[in-house]
Amino acid sequence: MDEFFYQIQKTDLSKFLNNIIQKNELYAPIKTDAIRFEKIESPEKIYLDTNADFPLKEFFFRDREKLFSFDKNKIKVEIEKPSKTRVFFGVRRCDLNAVKHQDFIFMEKHKDPYYSAQREDAILIGYHCKTAPSKYCFCGSMDLGDHYDLMFWEDESHYFVHVGTKKGENLINSSKELFSKTNIKLNEEHKKIDFTNRLKKKDISKLQDNPDWKKGVDKCISCAACTTLCPTCYCHEIKDEVTLSDLQKGERLREWSSCQLKSFTKVAGNHVFRENREERFKHRIYHQLQYFKERYNIEMCVGCGRCITHCPTEIDFVEIINEMKEK
Amino acid sequence: MQNQKVRKLYTIQSGLKKMNKPKVGIYGLTGCAGCQLSIIFNEDEILDLISLIDLRAFPFIKEKNYDEEFDLVFMEGLVASANDLEVLKKVRSKTKILVALGACAHTGCIPAYRKWTLKENYEHLLYKKDDIIKDEDPSPIENHVKVDFTIPGCPPDKHEILTFIKDVLKGKTPKTYNNPVCVECRRNNNDCLLIVGKPCMGPITAGGCHSICINGGFECWGCRGPSGDANYDAWIEILREQGHDDEFIKTRMKIFAGLKMEEDAFKILK
Repeated sequence: MDEFFYQIQKTDLSKFLNNIIQKNELYAPIKTDAIRFEKIESPEKIYLDTNADFPLKEFFFRDREKLFSFDKNKIKVEIEKPSKTRVFFGVRRCDLNAVKHQDFIFMEKHKDPYYSAQREDAILIGYHCKTAPSKYCFCGSMDLGDHYDLMFWEDESHYFVHVGTKKGENLINSSKELFSKTNIKLNEEHKKIDFTNRLKKKDISKLQDNPDWKKGVDKCISCAACTTLCPTCYCHEIKDEVTLSDLQKGERLREWSSCQLKSFTKVAGNHVFRENREERFKHRIYHQLQYFKERYNIEMCVGCGRCITHCPTEIDFVEIINEMKEK
Repeated sequence: MQNQKVRKLYTIQSGLKKMNKPKVGIYGLTGCAGCQLSIIFNEDEILDLISLIDLRAFPFIKEKNYDEEFDLVFMEGLVASANDLEVLKKVRSKTKILVALGACAHTGCIPAYRKWTLKENYEHLLYKKDDIIKDEDPSPIENHVKVDFTIPGCPPDKHEILTFIKDVLKGKTPKTYNNPVCVECRRNNNDCLLIVGKPCMGPITAGGCHSICINGGFECWGCRGPSGDANYDAWIEILREQGHDDEFIKTRMKIFAGLKMEEDAFKILK
């Protein structure tokens, strides 16, 4: 894609978003008791001061998904698709990368028709942070890439907009009168976000037995807020629900699960693989920072910091790792 | 970290046989009858349900009840009187699968709160006159008889009752939901009430309730009893940091599940 920026007057942003609403569904962060991505009818309510509390995950990898219905031995697969194209505005760099990681798992590594149906037509418009929106952000320590259809950089009187894909370009073209081309090129400086290099990278594979993990483990209440709010965690469980009128009829469902729960590794015969909290606590962090990378050569974690911000006991695993001494 | 005990909410392990029209009884001990109502609240499914089971006894809504052997009995309420104990033992001796239905049967719930008050505070309220009701120490039914399965909650989730019945009919081992309330709560995109500063019991309480209270902005009071591996130390520390004293925390725990939590949690409190 073209490396030159477009620009749009700040006062014209709502015109652009209204043009999107005409033909598509627009989702953007709205602040009520918390900040969530919600479908919006008018752009005035959009809240961009800080990142949303809940990531985009639920829109593509839904928390409860019907896989198929069954009747005795017959199964019927009906894959739901959103009725209109969904456009997401105001997505941060971390969350865009998280979507990319989920795309990798559900669309490249495995062909998951349910995820694909939700994800394929969606358009992602980013909003680039200047500085860390939360004190727990550490995206600067992670290896993030440019994954967006459009990305917005805020400036004093206008936004600089970079086009990432054809889908994004089409959106610009449909509101052509609002955008003008600039001669400024996208460079690495634009992608820097201040105060986000919190995690000091080290080889944690040798730190499995470090006593410092206990600082986090003792405070962990196994509530699974970290994995539920994580934009990249994809673990789930599968269950059947039958109807009462005919016990041979029913639905097979996929629901989010979490490695932080004892029930997650429970198998037939009531054996639990990760019985104690410490093993479960460490597993999440090692999966995010080490195991996934070993297997697929990318880190799973994107450094959004939600697992720390939303932890009721504020367990800061970044701080714990930073303070660990390598033997 | 405290030593976590494995809490078993059921003894049905395997080998459950598919049941054709099981003989069912629905009884209540000391309680408000709300849990029995939860069964009836399945209005859309009740006719299907009646055709699949043989409802032999349900004194709460039925005039004619058969006193005989049962395949399956739902027992609401706790043991709080001598009469409760008598009914419970009698029914147990005639029942293949006994289910503790609701918080009173499971934890003792609110009626068990009197365990922590002085008897002289309530003695004058007891039915002394004609001696029909003989007072017993309040206790969950599992303290007296073997309980095969527990459907917790004040009141229990009506769908959960149906799921249990469907599993029994199919001969499938019913599943107990043992994860904390937080798991469903976060999935429901709720803002964490603990972070907001409310004394929510979600992290130490078993879920399965779809976090119904928190969805409405009201903190969890622990009606479904302790979760599979509650970290009481960490939870109590959160409440202390919110500014709650140990007396408050203890009282809060006593209300719905005190008898189930006192052993592991009260020793941490002053």
